[in-house]
Amino acid sequence: MTAVTAATGRTTVDELARRATTEPPPRPKARAGPLEWILVHIAFLVVVAFFLVPFLWLLSAAFDAKASAYIQFPVEPTIMNFVKIFTEHDFARVLANSVFVAVATMILVVFTVSLAGYSLSRLDLRRKDWITYAVLLLQTMPISATMVPIYGLARQLGLRNSYLGLILIHAAIELPFLIWLMKGFFDSIPRHLEEAAWLDGRSKFRALIEIVLPLARPGLGIAAGLAFLSAWAEVLMVIILIDQDNLKTVPLAFYEAMRTQGGYTEVQYGVIAAMAVIYLLPVMVVFFAARRLMVRGLMSSTRGL
Amino acid sequence: MSNVEFDEVWKRFASQAEAAVRGLSLSIPDRELLVLLGPSGCGKTTALRMLAGLEEPDGGDIRIGGKSVVGLEPKDRDVALVFQSYALYPHLSARDNIGYPLKVRNLSRAEQQAKVERVAEMLGIGHLLPRRPAQLSGGEQQRVALARAIVREPRVFLMDEPLSNLDAKLRVHTRTELKTLQRELGTTMVFVTHDQAEAMSLAHRIAVLNKGELQQIGTPDEVYDHPANVFVAEFIGSPPMNLLEATPDGDSVVAAGGWRIPAPRGGPTGGGGTTAGDGSLTVGLRPEGIEIVADGQAAEVIAVEPFGSEVIVDVRIGEQALKIRAAPDVRPAPGSSISLRADPSAVRLFDRSSGAALR
Repeated sequence: MTAVTAATGRTTVDELARRATTEPPPRPKARAGPLEWILVHIAFLVVVAFFLVPFLWLLSAAFDAKASAYIQFPVEPTIMNFVKIFTEHDFARVLANSVFVAVATMILVVFTVSLAGYSLSRLDLRRKDWITYAVLLLQTMPISATMVPIYGLARQLGLRNSYLGLILIHAAIELPFLIWLMKGFFDSIPRHLEEAAWLDGRSKFRALIEIVLPLARPGLGIAAGLAFLSAWAEVLMVIILIDQDNLKTVPLAFYEAMRTQGGYTEVQYGVIAAMAVIYLLPVMVVFFAARRLMVRGLMSSTRGL
Repeated sequence: MSNVEFDEVWKRFASQAEAAVRGLSLSIPDRELLVLLGPSGCGKTTALRMLAGLEEPDGGDIRIGGKSVVGLEPKDRDVALVFQSYALYPHLSARDNIGYPLKVRNLSRAEQQAKVERVAEMLGIGHLLPRRPAQLSGGEQQRVALARAIVREPRVFLMDEPLSNLDAKLRVHTRTELKTLQRELGTTMVFVTHDQAEAMSLAHRIAVLNKGELQQIGTPDEVYDHPANVFVAEFIGSPPMNLLEATPDGDSVVAAGGWRIPAPRGGPTGGGGTTAGDGSLTVGLRPEGIEIVADGQAAEVIAVEPFGSEVIVDVRIGEQALKIRAAPDVRPAPGSSISLRADPSAVRLFDRSSGAALR
């Protein structure tokens, strides 16, 4: 008995010594009892089901010639819904419009947050804290409150039915949060690096481009991803600003499909679902392409704040 | 010519009540290795950063090669700075880090390559060139940072505690190398450190700073043997100079426990009138300026610290603690009594109220 204890004791000490030199000590894990395990998993299932069911409906309805508002396995499997949206609803055009607006917004946002975030992080501005908090205050404003003035402003400036207007508004909606995000990123990059570049003979602007921005890439990746996704998904401003058919983007096409397709007699759920499935694809692509970058970015941005 | 001059330079940061640098005037001749030495917060790094152009002075002038550099961008000053953190560009290989200042100057690829190789060879880091900074040890990073500074052939090298992140052994080794390197390159160097041993071993001259003010500038021997004031006396030397309160009495001074110490020639007791106020003094004695003798001032041994090449004996006279440097074979027993004699040529006197040395 004593021998065993002694042996175990020694192993533990050796083990600890090994861990101390090779890796950080493991976190103590809270042991869950069977009841807790069951409850936690039930909770997960409820949440997952809640979010998953609409997607299941979309998938089944998109491939069903007799899709209805109820979730069901395809009654009459078909791909005609997809064919229809491109032949009858000019969805290719709508998609191209959406891609253009989202990509342009993304480029504008990345350009702006690089400079604004860097300025708030580094420059010695008077009342910088006020400016910084003002930016945050903007983020807290519900966008729907500014709907009417934005409409009026856009009309006066001739920005209705123009992508420029849509891009500016989409960028403006995303900027406050992303400026803060990027400020956090820049804060986490040591100043000595750009100072070294200045002393190596670079101007401040070139040092920003060559040294600071490459190091801020994870942050710029998140900013780009989030700006694209938000511009892609934004509905309200599109409805307010766009009413010409040839300028329609996906959310508007949806909105109109739901409103007008078949009127009272027959809502073409299959068509709407097919549009939605295609609408979701770029989101998936962006997410899977950038997920590593985003996780890394979000982690390091919180470190920097 | 790349001599460096600080002329009545002031710097105040908005976040601090006291000025960081107060009326600093220094003249550094071409090819000199000057060490700015002082405790943290003494303004030495700020002075260096002003010279580099990373901070602007609030007053005074800074000149390199006789021309004022105040208001010039860092890129236009032609000085190289090695940071304490090394500040290597993490996304570039060691080769591209070292080559960066050359790329900035639009040198041809072949020229860049040749210069980088040569400097890397000189510092023995040729095999590290393809690696990123994260794949290098601290000492290797330090060499790459040094190479990046050397490759530019700047007018002045600035070093901001470049050795403080190295382990003790490598630090001592590197500082010998740096000294040799500076002599070979013949480039003016300003080196900032808080380590007095590093300063003593490297410097042609040491400028001691405290609270933003220059305390003394001189060769290592000068600041060690003739500290300008009590601060320098305590800051330089390990163990530091023993400081005892004393009062003048004829040709000598009387310190704690009635210890009568002969005062140096030309001292205040001879001429009189050089002390302030009540004439109270501080006597400074280096640990090696006190001898253990058969017949002298009695002192009680507190502890004995053997260092191999020497022994430091901690003693007490009354309430006054002293450290004495003795030969390696001297081992008095703690608690025993020994007797001491101050070497008259080693006695330094300071005005007690101002702390300034009396000559």
